[in-house]
Amino acid sequence: MSQVLHALRCVGSSGVTRVAAFTGLDEAAAESELIDLAVAGFVTHHTGFGGWALTDAGREADAGNTSAELETAGGRDALTGPFDDFLVLNPELLDLCTAWQVRSVDGVTTANDHTDPAYDHRVLGLFADFHERASVVIKALAAVLPRFGRYESRLAGALTRAQTGELAFLADDLASYHVIWAELHEDLLATLGIQRWRG
Amino acid sequence: MAWVRRLHADLDEPPEVVGGKAHGLVLLHRLGLPVPQGFVVTTAACRAFLRDGRLPRGLAEELAAQVTAPVVSVRSGAAVSMPGMMNTILNLHRTPEALETAVQSVFSSWNTPRARTYRAVHGIPHDLGTAVVVQDMVFGDRDQHSGSGVAFSRDPGTGEKRPFGEVLFGHQGDDVVSGRELTSPLSAVQQEPVVWQGLLDAFDRIEQHHRDACYVEFTFESGTLWLLQVRPGRFTGAAAVRLATDLVDEGLIDRAEALRRVAPSHLRHVRTPRIAPGADVVARGLGVCPGVATGRVALTAGEAVRLAPDGPVVLVRPETSPEDISGLAAATGVLTARGGPASHAAVVARSMSKPAVVGVADLVVGAGAATVGGREIRAGELVTVDGTSGEVALGRAAVVTGVADGCLERLLGWADEVSGERSDRPEEERLAAARAVLGIG
Repeated sequence: MSQVLHALRCVGSSGVTRVAAFTGLDEAAAESELIDLAVAGFVTHHTGFGGWALTDAGREADAGNTSAELETAGGRDALTGPFDDFLVLNPELLDLCTAWQVRSVDGVTTANDHTDPAYDHRVLGLFADFHERASVVIKALAAVLPRFGRYESRLAGALTRAQTGELAFLADDLASYHVIWAELHEDLLATLGIQRWRG
Repeated sequence: MAWVRRLHADLDEPPEVVGGKAHGLVLLHRLGLPVPQGFVVTTAACRAFLRDGRLPRGLAEELAAQVTAPVVSVRSGAAVSMPGMMNTILNLHRTPEALETAVQSVFSSWNTPRARTYRAVHGIPHDLGTAVVVQDMVFGDRDQHSGSGVAFSRDPGTGEKRPFGEVLFGHQGDDVVSGRELTSPLSAVQQEPVVWQGLLDAFDRIEQHHRDACYVEFTFESGTLWLLQVRPGRFTGAAAVRLATDLVDEGLIDRAEALRRVAPSHLRHVRTPRIAPGADVVARGLGVCPGVATGRVALTAGEAVRLAPDGPVVLVRPETSPEDISGLAAATGVLTARGGPASHAAVVARSMSKPAVVGVADLVVGAGAATVGGREIRAGELVTVDGTSGEVALGRAAVVTGVADGCLERLLGWADEVSGERSDRPEEERLAAARAVLGIG
């Protein structure tokens, strides 16, 4: 299946940079494939915001690809266990992102201005602890569908950048731990054919 | 009884032993307010369970000896509040085995990874354990004169002295806070005059006791009011200033106490822009990133990107997915039907500092229009969102900053009297100087 097509399904409309980050391709290769997909009618390029988006045909093609891939890999049942484990981790990760962005000062929810190294160190440590448990779940997903393995290295990369001082890479950047985690969430929903919301 | 305490007015145990929830219920008993009968299993029993992996010796017998209704609620209640982190079991049909299993499940929920992370973030020790409150079930879903709600004795957004909250007729309490059901403003309780009067009476007595605004959770069953939880209001920002000066005027606290109640850091939030009174407010959700945004409604990320070059846009979505990030980046504000303070939408909105309101339960996003509060908003029409109060108003709402009626000036005047210093300096310094004289950190 086309990882570039699937990237647009999970990342949403975006520029070539995020497609490249998602797939691990370099930007030139990603762009070249995007152009091929555009010729096939699966994606369009929006000059307005300089990004790429799926067409209805592209969305349908990706859904066909993922469901065929899942059949070959043993079907939905194989993913159910690790997906449930993901759903347990998800609220904890959102709690951690929130704790990184805001904290209670005299009872008031206040933006974390990152001037308290002890607090930041504590939350960063909790992200590292979380990541160890997330890695176990992602490895279980990758045992069924190897492409999920990329999330582990991408998340680890974002965590390392935050640990080495690039504080936005936990929750405040388009390449942050939170955004990659949200892509994983979307990928699981897309792969399992689950609606995020109804109505 | 080694592990279990009956909930009644004479129970004299600290929150460390019985948990904050039971401690509050004992206060309600003392104030003569209606509380479903019940008992609490102490935090010591939880610690023993967590240490040994089984309920402590004798607890099963003590549970069996407790008289209750056939159907009970089983709720967690630690000394320190950990909202939403632990188990609650409603409508438990009481058999010895079911009750023991329920207590074990609440004890076990103390140690889920998420709860452990929450404690680590907030500096709460892991070895406290939780108490378990078991009460006769009261049924908010009994009939049309039944319901559940949450309420503040005063408006937590402004501090104004008027009861504020939400109610859901014909439902149990967990539906009120789930965000799945459409609640009514608290004033709808006036349909049940006895319940309403009971609530006002409860607010009076609790406020007199705490000398502070309060928060309660309540259920009414066939026209009879029951209180299920109470705590002080913990107002912040402009509401804290208004509340403190009002309480002085009402004779509940003195000026020094007012200065004690408002931390200098609260003043930073007093000036956050808010929707002014009188706006066409159609719904209220949860404000998760402060500030006010007015813009044309975009119902998809693509629409937001397209509309944004021509002026401010508010992105309106059921909830957000990665697809919406480009739309959020283009928008000046965001409004979603789902989500809480730690939702994907909230995290992304804060990362971009965009005013955001989430969890508007009756918001339905369609193809060309959304409906909210029974009103239709078409794509391209103006809407205003307030990321502090959670208010959603149609059109361009007027905006205010600061506190009404000169409350802040009065408070700072009192501060200057205490410190004896009247030079021109920032508000936070004026308050801090007075608090230093009063010996407050």
